[in-house]
This record gives sequence, structure tokens and C-alpha cells, in this order.
Amino acid sequence: MSSRFRVVPALVVIGLALAIASFIGGSVGAMIADREPVAFLAVHPPHLQVPPGHPFGSSPVSNTMLAAWLTIALLGLVFFLGTRKMKLVPGAFQNALEYLCEFAGGFVEEMVGKEHERRMFPLIMTVFLFVLINAWLALLPGFETIKLNGEPLLRSANTDINVPLMLAVVCVVMIEYWGLRSRGVAYLKSFFDLHHLVRAAKSIRHGYLRDSLVNVFYGGIYFFVGILELLGHAVRVLSFSFRLFGNMTAGVVLTSVALFLVPLVLPSVFYGLEALFGLVQAVVFAGLTAVFGYAAVSSTEH
Amino acid sequence: MEISAEAAKLLAVGFAMGFGALGPAIGIGLIGRGAMDALGRNPEARGPILTNMILAIAFAESVAIYVLIIAILLIFVV
Repeated sequence: MSSRFRVVPALVVIGLALAIASFIGGSVGAMIADREPVAFLAVHPPHLQVPPGHPFGSSPVSNTMLAAWLTIALLGLVFFLGTRKMKLVPGAFQNALEYLCEFAGGFVEEMVGKEHERRMFPLIMTVFLFVLINAWLALLPGFETIKLNGEPLLRSANTDINVPLMLAVVCVVMIEYWGLRSRGVAYLKSFFDLHHLVRAAKSIRHGYLRDSLVNVFYGGIYFFVGILELLGHAVRVLSFSFRLFGNMTAGVVLTSVALFLVPLVLPSVFYGLEALFGLVQAVVFAGLTAVFGYAAVSSTEH
Repeated sequence: MEISAEAAKLLAVGFAMGFGALGPAIGIGLIGRGAMDALGRNPEARGPILTNMILAIAFAESVAIYVLIIAILLIFVV
């Protein structure tokens, strides 16, 4: 290759030219100039379908369910092959999986402390891997383009509201379970904080009026705060599920809009954005489960 | 003045997303600023600072996602 011919600027210029050409010749240019778009650049306008599609006719198996099964099969296969003949000095594949698990274990240990890490790690790692591989598998060509009976055959499992809802319910139930298991009934008592009101009743009996009024005042406030805390715990299900579902659906809408506006070259930027968002959302889901689990098991008493 | 349902829907979606994304954007900027301050004071604590920043940003961003869900619901379903 001659040193006077620079490859990267040439590629950038070609890419820019292709992008501009597809913008002019595609759907947007057709709308501006009131003509038909060039045949292979005609992309249909972005159309969001919130419920999952059913490509198998009357069977309840949806395309998101199929994609989730694919994720499970892939993860199961990878970890089965990696741990089949486990050696003390691991080979390359087993070493890679061990590195992954140790890295995640260190991350969880940083958030919840050493004594709780062991029992929180399985759920957190599983949720992280499931969300991540769901998001990244959807970037492969074939998802939402191969159609059967007019419906896409495969669709990212995170874009079906059922999957984030399921993960959120499981995580919240497990967080409450860890809290109850670690702290017993005191965990439930932290929501109904009658500590001050009991003290107010006691001091009324001994005749201290001012002390009991102050304690009634504080008791009311703390009781109200406890009820709000309970409500906050329940809202976590909605918050977890909508965070993941919203991010993934927004990514799909963004990519389809980008494909509609500039069919060539530009959507690869949004593709990278989707990959990044998939990773970030997986980390956030698992990390928030760890954080709330730590808050549940650690005592907040003075 | 009679506003058609279609026009009202489009207006609602525009206002929802416009005002709804304002708060979280400012919030995320404040979180980033706090993280930069902390990083400047103590560059050795980079790991925990970044981890906690990502988590706090996820909290703030989820409010914007709630608004986006409402907007998408309004446009495509209602």
C-alpha cells in the first residue's frame, strides 16, 4: 500500500457520501421532493409494536419467548462446556469463565460486603447474564427481519414487558426474603415504626405530658415515613421493570427511526449505542439488586 | 376553539417528553459533577466512585424512561 494513499480518511469520505446519498434517495428525500424513494433504500416508517408477536399462528409461543429460550440455551451450553472437565489449573475456556465469575464476585462483594456476597451472587450474576445476552443477541442479523406468517420470528426478549416484569418481581421478592432471613421480624418492624408512640404512651402513664407530646409528634412522622418506605419497596417492581423495558424499547425505536432517515452507514452508530445500553442496563439491574439487597440485610438502627 | 383528538394527542406527547426529560437531564448532570468533584479530590477511589455514579445515573434516568413510556403509549396505543 502506497504511503501517500491514506485509508481512513478515504473510508470516512466514502461513508459520508453513502450516507448523504441514502438520505437524499431514501424515504426522507422522497417526502421532500414528492417522488418515490429508490427501491432498495425504501424503508417503511418506524412502527412500534408493544405486544409480542405470534409467528406460529395460534400457538402461544411468541417471538420474544423464542429469543429468551435461545438465550437460555446459549448460556447453558457455554457454561456446561466450560465446566465439563474442571481442572485445578484451568484451560483457556474455563479460565475465561472463572475470570468472569470472579470479576462479578468482586463487584458484588464491593457492594454487599464479604459475608453476604455468597448468597446474593447467584441471583445477581444470573440476572446480569440473562439481561446482557438477551440484549446482545438481538443485535445479530435475523432478529426482527426473518418473518414467519407476517410476524418476525425472533425479537429481543427485553422488549416484551413480561420479561423485565418477571425479573423485577423475582429480584424484589428475593430482596425481601434476604431482609427477612437476615433480620427476622425486626425487618417488618422497620416499616411500622411505633417506637416513639410506645414511648409516648409510657411517659403519659408516668405523667410527663410535654415529653409524651413530643414523642407523639415524632412518632406520627416516623410512622408515616415507615409507610412511605413500604410503598417505595412496592414501587421498586415498577421501577425495575420499566427501566429495562423502556431502555430496550427506546433503543428499538431509535434504531428503526435511524434506519428510516438515513438507511446507509449512519445506523451503525446507533447499533453501537444499543450494544452499550444493553451492557449498562444489565449492570444497572444487577447492581441495583445488590444495593437494595445490602440495604435490606444491613441494620439501620442507631 | 375546538381541538381535535389527534392534535391534542400530538401536543400532549410533545409537552410530556419536552418537560419530562428536563429534570432527569439536569439531575444526571449534577450527579456527574459530583462524581468529577469526588474524583478530583481522591483519584484513587476511581472504582467505587464510578460504580456509584452509574447506579445513581440509572435512578435519575429511569424517571425519564417513565416519561418516554407514557409518550410512546400516547402516540402508538391511544
